[in-house]
Amino acid sequence: MLSDLLYRLRALFRGKQMDTEVDDELRYHLEREAEKYRRAGFHSNEAVRRARVALGGHEQIKQQSRDSRGTKFFEEILQDLRYAMRSFARTPGFTALIVLSLAIGIGANTAIFSVTSTLLLKPLPYPAPDRIAILWLRSPGIGIPQDWPSPGQYHDIATQNHVFQDTALAIGGNFTLTERTKAMKVDGIQAMSSLLPMLGAKPMLGRIFLPEEDQPGKPATVVLTYGFWQREFAGDPSIVGRAITLDGEPHTVVGVLSSGFRLNHEALPTISGIEKPEFFMPLDDDGKNPSNYGSENYNILARVKPGVTMQQAQSDIDVIAGRLRQEKHRDRSFTISVVPLIEQVVGNVRAAVLILFGAVALVLLIACTNVANLLLSRAAVRQREIAIRAALGAGRVRMVRQLLTESILLSLMGGVAGLAISALSIFIARKMHPGNIPRLEELGMDFRVLGFTLVISLLTGVLFGLVPALRASRVDLTANLKAGGKGSLSGGLSIRHDKVRGTLVIAELAISLPLLVGAGLLVRSFVRLANVPPGFNPQHVVSMNVGAYGPKFKDPITRVQFYQQLAKRVSRLPGVTATGAVSALPLTSTVGWGGMHIEGYVPPANEPELQVDQRSSTPPYFSTMQIPLIRGRMFAETDTDKMPPVAIIDQKMADRFWTHGDAIGKRIRRSEDSLWITVVGVVGVVKEYGLDTDSRMVVYYPHAQVRNGSLYVVARTTSDPGATTAAIIHLVNAIDPDVPVYDVVTMEQRVQDSMARQRFAMTMLSGFAGFAMILAVIGIYGVMSFLVTQGTGDIAIRMALGARRASILSLVFQQGMRLALAGAVVGLVGAFGLTRMMSSLLFDVTPTDPFTFLSVLSLLLVVALSACLFPAGRAMRIDPMVALRAE
Amino acid sequence: MAEERIELPQGTLDLLILKALALESMHGWAISERLQQISREALQVQQGSLYPALHRLQRRAWIKAQWAMSENNRRAKYYALTPHGRKQLGIEINAWRKLTSAVGHVLDMA
Repeated sequence: MLSDLLYRLRALFRGKQMDTEVDDELRYHLEREAEKYRRAGFHSNEAVRRARVALGGHEQIKQQSRDSRGTKFFEEILQDLRYAMRSFARTPGFTALIVLSLAIGIGANTAIFSVTSTLLLKPLPYPAPDRIAILWLRSPGIGIPQDWPSPGQYHDIATQNHVFQDTALAIGGNFTLTERTKAMKVDGIQAMSSLLPMLGAKPMLGRIFLPEEDQPGKPATVVLTYGFWQREFAGDPSIVGRAITLDGEPHTVVGVLSSGFRLNHEALPTISGIEKPEFFMPLDDDGKNPSNYGSENYNILARVKPGVTMQQAQSDIDVIAGRLRQEKHRDRSFTISVVPLIEQVVGNVRAAVLILFGAVALVLLIACTNVANLLLSRAAVRQREIAIRAALGAGRVRMVRQLLTESILLSLMGGVAGLAISALSIFIARKMHPGNIPRLEELGMDFRVLGFTLVISLLTGVLFGLVPALRASRVDLTANLKAGGKGSLSGGLSIRHDKVRGTLVIAELAISLPLLVGAGLLVRSFVRLANVPPGFNPQHVVSMNVGAYGPKFKDPITRVQFYQQLAKRVSRLPGVTATGAVSALPLTSTVGWGGMHIEGYVPPANEPELQVDQRSSTPPYFSTMQIPLIRGRMFAETDTDKMPPVAIIDQKMADRFWTHGDAIGKRIRRSEDSLWITVVGVVGVVKEYGLDTDSRMVVYYPHAQVRNGSLYVVARTTSDPGATTAAIIHLVNAIDPDVPVYDVVTMEQRVQDSMARQRFAMTMLSGFAGFAMILAVIGIYGVMSFLVTQGTGDIAIRMALGARRASILSLVFQQGMRLALAGAVVGLVGAFGLTRMMSSLLFDVTPTDPFTFLSVLSLLLVVALSACLFPAGRAMRIDPMVALRAE
Repeated sequence: MAEERIELPQGTLDLLILKALALESMHGWAISERLQQISREALQVQQGSLYPALHRLQRRAWIKAQWAMSENNRRAKYYALTPHGRKQLGIEINAWRKLTSAVGHVLDMA
């Protein structure tokens, strides 16, 4: 009832005024009553007395009136809050300590929750995103789980499936934009006209592609993304209809997409590693050719029909794949997998995120335990105050409520501070872009996050407040009032007298141990990973992609000449000791591979066609990168297109096909009908994809014979790599201003970046574990201090009876270590269970690595021991005379 | 005061207050006096019951209160029936009549 609520609210906020009114009213009543008696003939005083008797207790009536206003409950809460604030103000340091630990606990949880919520819970920003899938090929013979499909496979899938409402083929590429005077490398997506509608992309200006626009013979058109239009064309509203020059060809801009549209590498992992496309254009002729089975460089996105599950789609595609295996593929083991798009985007970070979430939850649990312990200590101090309130008639429920109000108020303050902390950490995370975490730009605070914070704040308030409240409210009146509030001194120095606090400390240790073990395992993994030799020497090597493609370089000879000229001038730069170039640099997202035939080797019938990584490089590439030559010779300047074709293979390939060093002089070719190429050298294995990933076999060709149009230029320097980098970019511009330079990163940085995800997980978990340990140590310290204070009398008596100080010391240590050991045992059991879930994050370390377990265990025991040190020292210094007199 | 007192059944006081206020608005003392008179001194309303009841009725928006000058020229709080309260009075009187006649029947039978 609205009026009821309004009345209660008014009564709540204007309670004082209403009380005065009741006073006035009662006084008036009393007067009239007295008047009545006076009129009946009583004396004035007697009349008033009679009136009072007739009316009953003034205060009591007031209280009853107040109760009937229905605000008692709220008033008591307000009272409790006021009381709580007063008691916080009396102990500001203590309050700050509690609020701070809760703020860190809640803040970390909020931050990780917002990551979890953004990555795993928030739907992708496309219409009905759970019906979009990405299709991958998988051939067990090829060492990667997700292989890009070809246009031929796309056409077979698109025409034969029964489950998709829409399908689209797309490929990413680097283009050279020539606007004004400078050439610039830009990333774009070539796609069928069905792609943008499938992803719900809406034009802000102009239109998106027409269905017939990806057919052959149509004029070259392009749709720009909002960001690209803003950045490069200053948001020019007249852009639609204008032509821009891409790769030397004019392309008419037909539209600009709205600003909300996003398509990242995570959702469309193109082979050329397009992080974020700047524009879209219709697919070129290669992509439209259904018989193109060779170039497996494409992405297939598909939207399942309404009501069709991903499993049903997969079974339908399995049938098609079965047919393709029979009709078109040598590879009898090849399959096509339908991967829900969300799985594609967050699949490989899900484990890490969930583990971090679990870890912060544990940290919060420890923080709660600690706060509970602090509150218990305070309750011990406040026993006299509580006893007085109990003596004044406060019921137990009322007192538990008061204490719970305090703890919930604390946790809400912690929650507010925690929100600030998490907002700050999200800000930092977005700035740092820690590792390749998808969807990070979507990260932020929203109502879901705020709601989460509120709920965990309330929960923690109840969680850490309940035990102390229940315990503190169970008071022994006489004992406490008599002991003068200091608590009993004859409690004895034993944890047995304080089971609750002891249990809390054991719990803290037990919870922090799995965290420490998890962090330890990640640190050990990371150290192992960082020590994996990459197969080259990354120190002092600058690297950048220099793209000699486009219309000027139609004749491949001109590319060779361009890179030769560039190499000549780079090698003359001061501080450059060597320079070379390669088509695909290790640890970049650039890849290149293809079929390989080996003279005299016939693959078994059920084995897929041999696929190897293939690169073209200039002769000094190997010496610049310090990739060791194992056998044979390096490329020479004389290995030109006038000379017989040669190749260098890596040790992995040599080991597979030619043991005992007889690879030199053997012949290979790229397809059935191409030229035979002679192997002239064997080089060391290079980590191409990541330090934690085994490489595939690699074949290198001399660039003069296989003339790629885009090479990574590397230079080994003795001086400042920054200056050298700038000088090389300057040289490229001087030779040909239309050649774009991009992906400028030192090799050392590439190695670091390749470990970014592991480093992120390790840093985060170590941070949480460290925090947990600090809290646990504070917990042990607090309990031991408390025990020593409580047991002062006991210790004094022992000393007075002749106990040596050493035995007092060992007594304290024994108590502390008993707690530590109990916690460690429980924690070890938990750790064995929990670390198993981490195996996907570990590298070269088992989840039960005994070294890590033992180190963490000893660390924890040492730390626990030192936490007992101060209380033990204090116990030792107790002067029995002083202590006993105080008693 | 030796006269016999009647214990009011739960909720009856509310009904009586509403009835008393149906004629005119009154202050608290007048209500208690009126009830005492009309019931021929059988009902003596204690302040301890009267004022909580008045607050309860206000909360339900059946009566409203207002400070005004009393007959002896003093400030007093006057209570008046709201339209909602008037309707409620009708309902309560009906219910009471039904109850008493039903109880009466049972008693007469026995």
